[in-house]
Amino acid sequence: MIHFKINKFNKQQAVFGILFMMPWFIGFIIFGLYPMIMSIYYSLCRYDVLRIPQFIGFGNYEKLIFEDPYFWISISNTLVYTVLRVPLCIIGSLLLAVLVNNAVRGVKFFRTIYFIPSIVTGVVLSVVWLWMFNPQFGLINSFLAYMGIPGPLWLLDPNWSKPSMVLMSVWSIGGGRMLVFLAALQGVPKHLFEAVDIDGGGWWAKFKNITIPMLSPVIFLWSVLEIIFSLQVFVEAYIMTQGGPLNSTMFYNLYLYNKAFNDFEMGYASALAWLLLVISLIITVIQFRLSKRWVHYDGVTK
Amino acid sequence: MKQIIKIVLSLAVLIAMGLFLFMPDSKPPNDGKIRLKYWMVSAMKEQPFHVTEFNRTHENIIVEPTPLPWNEHEKKILTSILSENPPDLVFLVTPVAKWATRLALTPLDDLIKRDSFDSTIFFSALWSEMRFKDNIYALPLYSNSYAFFFNKKLFREAGLDPENPPKTWDDVLEYSSWLIKKDEKGNFKQMGFIPTYGNVQTSIIMAWELGAQILSIDGAKVNLTNQPTIEAFNWTVNFYSQFNIKDVSTFIAGFGFAEQHGFISEKIAMMVLDNSFPDQIKLYNKNLDYGVAEIPTFKGYAPVSSTGSWWLAIPRGAKNKEAAWEFMKFAVQKNIQLTEAERQKALLFPSNKLTANNPAFLSLNESNKIFVDLLEHSKTPTVVPLVHDVFWREYMGAQERVVHKIQSPFDALKQAEKTIQIHLDETIEYDNYVRSQVSIK
Repeated sequence: MIHFKINKFNKQQAVFGILFMMPWFIGFIIFGLYPMIMSIYYSLCRYDVLRIPQFIGFGNYEKLIFEDPYFWISISNTLVYTVLRVPLCIIGSLLLAVLVNNAVRGVKFFRTIYFIPSIVTGVVLSVVWLWMFNPQFGLINSFLAYMGIPGPLWLLDPNWSKPSMVLMSVWSIGGGRMLVFLAALQGVPKHLFEAVDIDGGGWWAKFKNITIPMLSPVIFLWSVLEIIFSLQVFVEAYIMTQGGPLNSTMFYNLYLYNKAFNDFEMGYASALAWLLLVISLIITVIQFRLSKRWVHYDGVTK
Repeated sequence: MKQIIKIVLSLAVLIAMGLFLFMPDSKPPNDGKIRLKYWMVSAMKEQPFHVTEFNRTHENIIVEPTPLPWNEHEKKILTSILSENPPDLVFLVTPVAKWATRLALTPLDDLIKRDSFDSTIFFSALWSEMRFKDNIYALPLYSNSYAFFFNKKLFREAGLDPENPPKTWDDVLEYSSWLIKKDEKGNFKQMGFIPTYGNVQTSIIMAWELGAQILSIDGAKVNLTNQPTIEAFNWTVNFYSQFNIKDVSTFIAGFGFAEQHGFISEKIAMMVLDNSFPDQIKLYNKNLDYGVAEIPTFKGYAPVSSTGSWWLAIPRGAKNKEAAWEFMKFAVQKNIQLTEAERQKALLFPSNKLTANNPAFLSLNESNKIFVDLLEHSKTPTVVPLVHDVFWREYMGAQERVVHKIQSPFDALKQAEKTIQIHLDETIEYDNYVRSQVSIK
C-alpha cells in the first residue's frame, strides 16, 4: 500500500486535475449519465417526448416479452445475423492476416489494398451493395448469369436477405481487425515455430499449436467486440431493406429506432434499449467464463 | 502568485466556454416588423410564390422560410417545440391528428370563428383531415390526386384499343394478360399492371370503392377484416396467382426513379399515379404516348381516389400567432394558389376548390380535369390517424404475407387488425391520461 502525503503541492495538483477533468465530467453528466438514468425511468412509462410521461411500471417490459411478436422476430433475426457473421469476420480476417504476414514481394501493397474497402462508411457501403445485390442488373447476378448460374433475389428474398447482409461484411475483413491480427502475428516469437520445425511439424501443426494459441487473446477480444457490434446492426437494414422482406431483416436496433423515431414511443424504445444491454451483458459474461478454457495469455497457464 | 493566475485563467476559459452555451441568437434589426419563422418540408430551390407575394404585399410582416430535410423534419420540429423555441408556422404532410394529439399544434377555432373564415373553399377530404377531436388545427395548402395512366403505344402493340382503357378491375386483369412480354429465358420484359408497385396501394382504393369502413366513427375500433378489404386482398391474391412472385419481384427490382420508373420507362403499361406524373413524363420521356383515365372500379361501384394534404399550422408556443394566421389565410386564397400552380406547373395540386376548378388551372394540363374530378371522390390515406404509421406498416405487412402466400387474406388482416388495435388502445389511454393532467387551452 502506498501512502500519499497530502502536502500543498499535492493539493494544488489535485485541484488542477479536477479542474481539467471538469469539462468532460460536466459533459458526461449532462449528455451521458442524465439521459441514461432518465431512460431507465422512461422505460417504465408511456412517453412520446412532447407530453408528460405516464408511469406504467413494468408494462413496457411485459408487453415486449409476452405480447409483441416483433420483439421476438427482431431478436431471432439479430441472433441469426450474429451467429452467421461473427465467425466469418474473425476467420476471414485471421486468414487474411496470415496471408499478408508472408514476406513475399509487394506484401505492403496487398496490405493496403485489403485495408482500403474498410474505409468506406456504412451508408455508402449499403448503397453500393444495394446495387450489387440487384437481382436484375446487379454485379453479382450478372456475374452468376455469365457463369450460367441463376442468381437468387438476395435482399428481396426473405431466405436470402440475412445471408446477403452477412456477405456484405466480408467487405471489411481487411480492416482494423486484420491489422490487429497482423500485429499479433508479428509478435509471435520465431523460436516457437522453429521448435515445430525441429519436431518435423508442417504448416498446419504450426497454425494449430502455435499461431492460434498465441493469438487467442486477440481472437477473444474480437469475438467479444464483434458479437456486440453484430447485436447492434442497424445501418445496412435501415438503408437497404427497412426491415423487409417479410420482416426478415427487422433487426433489434432497427425495431428500436422505428419505435423511438417513427412511432415516438420513447418509453417502449427505452425498455428495448435496456433489454439489449442486458442481453449483450449476458452473452459477454458467458464468453468470459468460457474464455478460461481456450484463451492463453503470455506464459500464464491456469 | 503564479498558481493563482493559472487558476484564474483556467476559470476564465471555462466560464467563457460556458457563456457560449447561453449566447442569444443574433438579433434581427429592430425595425418594428414581425419576422415569421416558417419551416417547410420541401426541397424547393427558390422561395414559393405564396411567400414572396405575401412579403411584397405586407409591410409589417416578413416571412422567413427555412426548408427542412424530409427525414429530419419531425425530430427538428419536436425538439423546437420542446425547447419552447418553435417556428411560427410549419408546413407538413403527415396526419394532422398525429401532431394534434401530441399537443404540438395551436387550435385555430377561435380565429376561424372570429374572422368567419370560409372552410368550404377546400376539398372536403382535405378539410376533414384538419380536425382532431373538437378542434381544427391546420389549413390545407396543397393536395395531390391520383388517376389511372395507360400507355397507348403498348396498348396498340398488344392489339388493344388505345382509346378504350379498362373500366373495371376485371378489365384490368384481362388487359394485363395481353400486355405481358417475356424474353427468351422467360423473364418479364413488360407487364400490364402490378398492384403492389407504385406509391398508392391499389388494394386500399378497391376497399374504399367497395365501401370499407376501417375505423369506427368514434375512432376507437379498427376493423380490417371487413368484407370490402378482404375482397380487395382477394383481387390481389387472384392477380398474383397467375405469376411466380419471384419473377415479379425481380422485374420490379429493376425500376428506380425518373427515367427508370416503371411507367416512364414503358415497362409497365397501366398504373395508378399522381398528378405530378404528366410533368415527370414530359421531363424524362417526352415521346411517351399515354392517356389518363378515371381509376377503374368494381362493376356497379363509383370510382374513389386517394389524396394527401400538405398543411400549414401554428406550433404550440409560437410567438406570432396573429401574424401566422394572417399568412395562412393569405396562402390558401384562390388567386395566390392559381399563380403558384402556374409557376410550379401543378406539381402540387391546390387545396382550394375554386382554384382547382378554374379554367386557367384546368388548361395547365389536359389531365387536370380528371384529377380534379377524382379529388371530389377522394379519401385520404390517413385511415387511423392516431396510429397512422403503425396502420400502414401492418397493412403493408399483411399484404406482403398474402402476396407471398403465407397467410390467407382474412388471417393476414386479422393479425394486422389485432396489432393496430393494441396500439390504438394504448394511444387513446395515454391521450386521456395527458388530457386529465394538463389543461388544454
